[in-house]
Amino acid sequence: MKKKQKNIFIFLFIFFLGSIFLISYNALFAASEAVINATIKISVCGNNIKEDGEQCDVNDFGGATCQSLGYAHGTLFCKPSCEFNISNCTSGGGGGGVGSVSSSPTAVNFSGRAYPASTVSILEDGQLAKTVMAGSDANFNASLSGLTSGNYTFAVYSEDNQGRRSSLDTFPVILTKGETTTVSNIFISPTIAVDKSEVVKGDNLVIFGQSAPGSDITISINSQQEIFVNAKADDTGAYLYNLNTNSLDLGQYITKSKAGLNGELSPFSEAVSFTVGAESILNQSEGCSLKGDLNNDCHVNLVDFSIMAYWYNKANPPANIDLNNDGQIDLFDFSITAFYWTG
Amino acid sequence: MKILKLLSKIRNCIIVGLLIFMALPVFGAEIFFDSKTPTITSGAQFQVDLLLNTENKSINAVEGKVIFPSEILELKEIKSGNSIINFWVNKPKIKQNGQVIFSGITPGGYKGKSGLLFSLIFLAKNQGQGTLEVNNARTLLNDGKGTEAPLSIFSYQFNISQEVENQTPPPNINGNLILNNLPDTEPPEAFVPKIARNPSIFGNKWFLIFETQDKGSGIDHYEVKEVRHPSFGIFSNWVQAGSPYMPSASPLLLKDQELRSYIFVKALDKAGNEKIAMLSPKNSLPWYENYDNWLILIIIIVIILIVSIVTIRLLLKRAKISRKYIRKKD
Repeated sequence: MKKKQKNIFIFLFIFFLGSIFLISYNALFAASEAVINATIKISVCGNNIKEDGEQCDVNDFGGATCQSLGYAHGTLFCKPSCEFNISNCTSGGGGGGVGSVSSSPTAVNFSGRAYPASTVSILEDGQLAKTVMAGSDANFNASLSGLTSGNYTFAVYSEDNQGRRSSLDTFPVILTKGETTTVSNIFISPTIAVDKSEVVKGDNLVIFGQSAPGSDITISINSQQEIFVNAKADDTGAYLYNLNTNSLDLGQYITKSKAGLNGELSPFSEAVSFTVGAESILNQSEGCSLKGDLNNDCHVNLVDFSIMAYWYNKANPPANIDLNNDGQIDLFDFSITAFYWTG
Repeated sequence: MKILKLLSKIRNCIIVGLLIFMALPVFGAEIFFDSKTPTITSGAQFQVDLLLNTENKSINAVEGKVIFPSEILELKEIKSGNSIINFWVNKPKIKQNGQVIFSGITPGGYKGKSGLLFSLIFLAKNQGQGTLEVNNARTLLNDGKGTEAPLSIFSYQFNISQEVENQTPPPNINGNLILNNLPDTEPPEAFVPKIARNPSIFGNKWFLIFETQDKGSGIDHYEVKEVRHPSFGIFSNWVQAGSPYMPSASPLLLKDQELRSYIFVKALDKAGNEKIAMLSPKNSLPWYENYDNWLILIIIIVIILIVSIVTIRLLLKRAKISRKYIRKKD
């Protein structure tokens, strides 16, 4: 009787454990709104057999030596974590040892100026990695950690209080394992817009946008000779310049701006175009209309790249995907997409 | 007469000036090769990097075709993990014997003197001289118009000498050549797959998009599975994107157009490290169609049954003991 009861209790216990596992497993899946990233590696560290995911295991180095790892001399050891211990490997002349790999996270910090209370987006290799808010003084700080060592292309852009985006500033950075790299003094280019797409010669054209408060704005207008005019950003970062078009010939022009503050200079903004012609046409707000935004979600990102990639080198692509209207999807279309990229 | 001589001198000066001007190199981007292996011997492996110098211009798109002499070289591996190219339109791959095609973009553009496009690892099969070249190359400016940048291409000449006896074989860890680099033990970077649909592709059906990077050995391939019941997901197989069973990679047409499935995407690098990303279904199953709920329900019923049986038996036993005790007392 006692044995029977014991068996029943064991049976019950197993069922209990099983149900707890299943319930928590399902709860976990139900709760995960977005993504769970997991690394699955099956290996036993310490069994003296080097398996997948291990650099070494006790005395099994898989044939690796200090020399095969690029060092001149020394003896290779194995850490309890099954990683190479290269502290006794020396590089040339029997000189000083090379330190073992640090266990601190590989990270990158960004700081700089955008626009007051604006959203700053950080792209990591073209994909949106983080968004942060700039302060009322337009300064921002952001940090990305948990990265692996290697070459990265980080890009930063911001959006002003009217939803206009800055151009994308890119930074190629080489990250070292266990070290934090800092990218500072980023000065995001101003936003820019014009009040008319066409202006009657002699009328005023308003060029405006936003930058850091108190910035000196240099506006370039390309004509036969490039014209430079200056404006000052106010306390909210807004700037405005009334351009008298009397001195301009009839024709199409592009204008762009850059900002300067405390000896630091931003890159030039994106260029916007206007025409000096026979009539004045006010610029209509086009919402978030962006070239390269093929699915009209106000972003140019991997989704748009994938839609374009589907039509790459295929006959008769849809007109909205063929960005340069040459009847085919080729590198030129991808280049235009890369310029307008928002991540 | 003097005027004629003067005119002649001016003409000569103009011609010489024009010739000097035409002889000046064209200012533009450069594509060139670089190798850390000073001498190549037959039977040895060596790495050659293909690099881009943008000459202070911002370049956002590159394409071309690397030509190598396949009679003396065997291409063992293409490493693109540390590339300045973020999204490949054509990931570097062998098109035909002796040709590697590539094209890709860097959003926002790249400006630098030696941006790595990708690395080629060759086995020197035979002795001889050879040249690595790049044909049909193109670099485009990051100007929103796709303007072609002037481009200079520098080929790479090499000489394969006779095999040295008792030569140490190249280091090989986990079956991967490491060529003076630490073996890749880090998984690909975390990523977030997306689902989308668009009238332009797949007849407005839902498709899946995924892309990640691996800074070590580079992404080898992706595997995908769609499962409606996560508890039973372990019984369904991963299918390699781009294989005959799933010919297209990203964008990938989803099997479950009702979007009631969990989608798992596994990125594997060339060293076998992997990273799995999961997307929860957009539309959840009704509770009665979810096998997991039934499983939990059955388990709960079984537990209740067993607990009830055990409790009843215990109560009965206790009653029996009390009856015995009362009888004894009587």
